[in-house]
Amino acid sequence: MWQAVAGFFADLVSADNPLWLYYPLCLVVAVVYKATKYDEPKRIVRAALHFFVSVTLGMFALGLVFYLIARLL
Amino acid sequence: MRPAGAEERSPVAALVLGWILPGAGHAYAGRWGKAVLFFLCITGLLAAGLVVGGGTVLLYQVPGHAAGNHVRLWYAAQFCAGGPAVALTPVSQYIASQRSIDWADPLHEMGTLYTAVAGFLNLLVMMDAYTRVAYPHRKGDDDEKEDA
Repeated sequence: MWQAVAGFFADLVSADNPLWLYYPLCLVVAVVYKATKYDEPKRIVRAALHFFVSVTLGMFALGLVFYLIARLL
Repeated sequence: MRPAGAEERSPVAALVLGWILPGAGHAYAGRWGKAVLFFLCITGLLAAGLVVGGGTVLLYQVPGHAAGNHVRLWYAAQFCAGGPAVALTPVSQYIASQRSIDWADPLHEMGTLYTAVAGFLNLLVMMDAYTRVAYPHRKGDDDEKEDA
């Protein structure tokens, strides 16, 4: 089963999957959102990267949960 | 530090300018760096969405369909991206009238999402420009807080 899970995530990052378009979208959202909160460029970059990584990991975790639910039910 | 002449600036003008051209509200508030950043991010996202979606994502109505179709809600979000979105709408409408749209195409869906998110982000940027002009003493306050 874990091979199937690994395959699911490998498919998510493959070039022919349109979901890779999520990454630039999330990055732009992170930069714009954090630029409205902070003024200092270094602080904006750091906060935007933190936001991007947190949201992406959260999305992957959510994807894993839904995938496991779909597999087990 | 407040830019010179900040007292005479109108928050509503910052809001309206921010809609006409993404980032212009911040330029009006004297924040040129952020103005350029917001312009590049929002118009870039809008242009990328248009390209990814095959040019048929900025639609206020589907050609050949009656009023009240599903694209209106998406267009409400896209409309918030301001002048560039409105200027590109006739182009998108024309392209849509010339060929059929594959609504199930994931790239079309992503293009629609990109342009809608560009609109929502511009709404946030417009409100930020408004508050920066209306309450200039609050500028940079958030820098002192921890990242939320």
